[in-house]
Amino acid sequence: MKISELIDLPLIKLSLEAKSKDQVIKELSNILLDNKRISDLKLFIEDVYEREALGSTGIGFKIAIPHTKSKYVTKPSLVFGKSVNGIEYESLDGDPAELFFLIAMPEVGANTHLQALALLSRNLIHEEFREQLLEAKTKEEVLKILKAIDKT
Amino acid sequence: MFKIIAVTACPTGIAHTYMAAEMLEKTAHEYPIQIIVETNGAMGTEQRLTKADIDSCDAVIIAADVSVEMNRFIGKPLIEVSVGEAIRNPKKLIQDAMDGLYKIYQG
Repeated sequence: MKISELIDLPLIKLSLEAKSKDQVIKELSNILLDNKRISDLKLFIEDVYEREALGSTGIGFKIAIPHTKSKYVTKPSLVFGKSVNGIEYESLDGDPAELFFLIAMPEVGANTHLQALALLSRNLIHEEFREQLLEAKTKEEVLKILKAIDKT
Repeated sequence: MFKIIAVTACPTGIAHTYMAAEMLEKTAHEYPIQIIVETNGAMGTEQRLTKADIDSCDAVIIAADVSVEMNRFIGKPLIEVSVGEAIRNPKKLIQDAMDGLYKIYQG
């Protein structure tokens, strides 16, 4: 499975309204609910926090990558959100995060999407890749940048 | 060439494991030194370190928030850090390895 099968235009939000970590997790999770990718908002969010409790997924470099394997996920999905002003996310480097990737994986089933997510994680380490996402002005641009991962 | 081997691992095994691996590889290539990174992630173990890799390396970095098979590294200069530390401070880890600051792993 490829990145292009996990994310689509409705799962991209360029101007997040959230001002805090709690709000951004809720806002991104709501996008999943609206697009019928999860069956229960509250319980899905609880699963996201279960992972956060093991260590914040704010990895620094303005990036947060909350993720979970949850039985409330009906379709493996990736949500992308951007916050122009940045959001305090208990990041490893202490700086606010601006780029958010919420990864929702079903608890059971094929693990074919894992390779794509590993590649996404690897790409995020590179500044050029992050800059492209920070500079993207439209959802279409974001989608194009993310889909390029499939070609690597 | 100085040779480092590393193992990265995290609880869910889909994000930090691979970020840390990429960060260590990227940083090592700046020096340049040789590096091989084994990832213990949700896809299982990839790029598994061979006995030859271990025998021939100068230093071992374990960047993991979950337990890793350690006995294979007995006798090697080794450091154990969190996976986040490898993402945050890869340069220091590599520099310390080259400066011979790691302790020999006793098991």
